[in-house]
Parts: sequence; C-alpha cells; structure tokens
Amino acid sequence: MSELKLENLSYFHGKGTPYEIKALDGIDLVIPRGMITGLIGHTGSGKSTLVQMFNGLLRPDEGRVLLDGVDIWEKPKTIRQVRFRVGLVMQYPEYQLFEETVAKDIAFGPRNMGLGEEEIRVRVEEAAAFAGLDRALLDKSPFDLSGGQKRRAAIAGIIAMRPEVLVLDEPAAGLDPRGRDEIFANIVRYQESTGSTVVIVSHSMEDMARYCDNLVVMNGGKVVMQGDRDYIFSRSERLSEIGLDIPQVTRLMLRLKEMGVETDGGIYTVEQAVEKMLKLYGR
Amino acid sequence: MKSIAFGQYYPADSILHRLDPRIKVILTVLYIVCSFLCKNIISFALLLASALLLIAAGKIPLKVILRGLRPVLIILIFTAFLNIFWTKGETLLFGWRFIKIYAEGLYAAAFILVRIATLIIGTGMLLTYTTTPIALTDALEDLLSPLKKLHVPVHSFAMMMTIALRFIPTLTEETDKIMTAQKARGADFSEGSLVKRAKALIPILIPLVVSAFNRAEDLAIAMECRCYHGGEGRTRMTVRRLRFVDFIPLALVLLLGASLILLNILGFGYTMR
Repeated sequence: MSELKLENLSYFHGKGTPYEIKALDGIDLVIPRGMITGLIGHTGSGKSTLVQMFNGLLRPDEGRVLLDGVDIWEKPKTIRQVRFRVGLVMQYPEYQLFEETVAKDIAFGPRNMGLGEEEIRVRVEEAAAFAGLDRALLDKSPFDLSGGQKRRAAIAGIIAMRPEVLVLDEPAAGLDPRGRDEIFANIVRYQESTGSTVVIVSHSMEDMARYCDNLVVMNGGKVVMQGDRDYIFSRSERLSEIGLDIPQVTRLMLRLKEMGVETDGGIYTVEQAVEKMLKLYGR
Repeated sequence: MKSIAFGQYYPADSILHRLDPRIKVILTVLYIVCSFLCKNIISFALLLASALLLIAAGKIPLKVILRGLRPVLIILIFTAFLNIFWTKGETLLFGWRFIKIYAEGLYAAAFILVRIATLIIGTGMLLTYTTTPIALTDALEDLLSPLKKLHVPVHSFAMMMTIALRFIPTLTEETDKIMTAQKARGADFSEGSLVKRAKALIPILIPLVVSAFNRAEDLAIAMECRCYHGGEGRTRMTVRRLRFVDFIPLALVLLLGASLILLNILGFGYTMR
C-alpha cells in the first residue's frame, strides 16, 4: 500500500544523439494509495515510457520518482528491490513466458526475490487464483495455453511477487470483449481483497470510466489532467479536444446539450444517463 | 539495443548510389584484385587516389567513413608496428641495441596501411554505404543465376537472405521487449559468475526463439496465400537494365588494373619483393 509520486520528471529517447526526442516533459504526478488509477492517452503520448519509470526500468533524465517518499534512484544498486515492490505487467506480457510449466513461470519472480520453496508454492497458487487461472493449468506448458490464459499466467507472474503497487500496461489489449471483462473483473477483485495500489494503462475510455477511481490524462509527454473520475469526466469537452475517445454515453449527452437539452458532459455510465433523463422528464 | 543500426547503408543521391548494383558487385571484386596488384610506390599512390575519387563520387561524409575504419584501427596499428620493426632490409635508418629500423620496413608498413584502408574504403563506397541490402541480394541473385543450370537454388538463397535482413530489426526490438519484461520480474543480467549470467539468458532466448518460429510460420502462410512458389517464372517489380553510363566505371577500373600491371612490369621507384 504505497504511494507513488513523480516530481518534475523528464525523459529523452536517444539522449545525446541527433534523434533526441523529449518523451516525458516535466511530469508531476501522484498515484494515490489503495485505489485503481487509470492512465489514459494516445499511442505515443508517453504512457508506456512513464510506467517504466515507476519501477526503475528507465532512469529519468530530470526529476525524481518517490516511492513512499523515498527516491528510488537514491541507491541505484538496489533498484531490483524496487521492481519487486512495484510490479509491472508489460504490454502483451504473454511473450515473456519461457518455463516448462505455468507454475514454474509464475515462480520466476518470487525465485528472483530469493524466497523459500514453500513460500513460493503458496504465492504461485494465490497469484493464479487472483489472475483467474484454473489450478489444472499450472502443470501445463505455457505454450499450450490459449491467448487469454497466457495473459493471465503472465499477470499472475507479477502478482506472485506481492507488489505494493501493481501496474498493468494495456492488460486487455487484443482480447475479445468477454476476455476483457474477465481480466478487469479480476484486477478489481485483486485490488479490493489486497487493498494494494493499482495503475491501469489504457486508451479505452469506456474501460477507464468503468473500473478506475482516479484518472490521469496524458498528451504529448505531458500530464494534461489528473483527478477523480467525476472531475475528469465533467471536462469531457477537453478530453475530446485532445482527441481521446470519450464514452458513447458521454458523447450522446454532449450532443443533447448542443441541441438544447439541459444535461452535461459529466455523465459516463448508462445508469447515470437514465437517472438524469428521468429527472428531466420529472419522474 | 536500438542503436544497432543494421548495415551501413547511407542514403544519398550520388553516382555510386545510382550505379547498377550488379556492376557494383563486379567492380568490388575487380577493385580488390587491383589492390593486390600494387607493388611499387607509384601504383600505391594511384590506388590511394582512386580511393579518394570513390569517396568524392559517393557523397558520404568523411566522418562516417572514418567511423567505419575505427574497428580495424587496432589491426592497422599492429601490422604497421610489426612491419616497421621486423622487416629487414639494406638501408638502415635507425639502430639502437636490438632495435633496427630499415627504410624497407617503413615502405612495407605504409604499403600495408594503404592497402587495407583502400580495401575497406573501396568495398564500403562501392557496396555497403551506397547499396541497400535488398538491392545487393537482388544483384547477387542475378550474378549467380548461371549456377541455376547446375541446379543450385540461387533464388531460394537470395530470398532467405532478404528475409533474414528484413527481420533483424524486428528481432532486435523483440529482444529488447523481452529483456525489459524479465527485468521487471527481477531478472539480473549483469551480475554473478559466467555460468549464472549464461543461465540468465534462458528467459530471453526461449521466448525469442518461440516467437521467431511463430513469425516464420505466419510469413510462410502469408507468402503461400499470395501464391509464392519459388523463383520459377517470377518477375521483378523493378527490372534493372544496364545503361551505357554503368559501363564507364567498369572501364575506369579495368584501366586502373591495366596501368597497375604496366607499372609492375616497368618497376618504378621502390618495389615490394
């Protein structure tokens, strides 16, 4: 249950070469503890670069990353410990599977932490359960699993490290709608039962509106907005300005507003819309 | 990892870039032969001049060429050193205890330096800097096509080379991704004994090989869907035709070779034995 804080952080791709690009530009950010935070932005807005700052896979060129108030780069030699505390599930994580069995693969992280066999066994089963992975699959080869199962196995591999902060980069990319819903439901259940801090990166506004308490909007390597869900969606116009896909229901409400109906853009679920409509019609 | 730019092709618009790649392959072979024909001081001067001419014709920045020479710098210095101190001759220039430097040694060192440098500049200017890898494989396929009569699968080899070249950047990127993912799980590639470090590569190599096989299969299916069936009856999108101007460099290099042979017969100046 840790708090992540970024202070005036900047990062350049290809620093010192003629192709230098400023990927992150003066980021000030707080990821509140014990909540699900959504990180939204376009492709190329710097989301994936930013999450690699969280666990020290990339080192910022300027600024600091604070985990519970301590700069993670204070002792660069112990950066591995930070990676166990901030678990990062990369995009398309199923490509990292390599062991003979799913259980062994999930155990890779805990084993790197130097834990005992018994502890590892407990954690593997716990992580598999959280990721929604059937126990019968644990002894199979990871290469025999379906796409969705592989994704779960990879997520379990990070959860097994029992990270204080769990970061997932596009956890539902490339899955069918049912697979998406299941993955997100598992993440929400994991967060509720462990109370840990979770960050989800996505460009899908619908998913973000549904699952995240707190939102961070990125554009062009900068944080454009951050705040709770109601705050962000009450500024839906601003979201469409930077070209983000706002939820269908919000779009509908904005359109009604243009046509003179007394509604606003701060509505992001169908239930809210129904309530608003009923109120307008005086029922 | 991303800094590994594959090949050294340097895009520019020059006579050498526009020259037919098949001619360039032939020229390279001839140029290598020429550099070994050199035996005396005038022919080496001629060789050096031709290398400078190539640099001028290729419009490649001198900085890039010098960077290309850097990996062989050690070899250059080492051979020059050996030649200066170990060549025995008649004209003693400097002698102190066991160190004896002869004029012949200095000549030999200079000749070797010029030969290696021009070889690298010549092949670089004619091929690697000015020809894209794809154009190069196409040219090799054309030049080797007579071997088809002997049932050598020339087209398949060229296609294999093209595909291999095409996938180098893709696989580099993939390696990078897998390494980052395993690092996020606490993998450590920089510490421990040699055995431990070799073992640390397993979590990278297995996913990489698996994905390479998957890609190969996808590519094979995609090619079959487009009715690829080998080189038989296959035509190219761009058909290269030799123009008159393509033969001018060929004539120039042949002229260079001829004059080098002539110089060897006449034996001007200091001649290497």
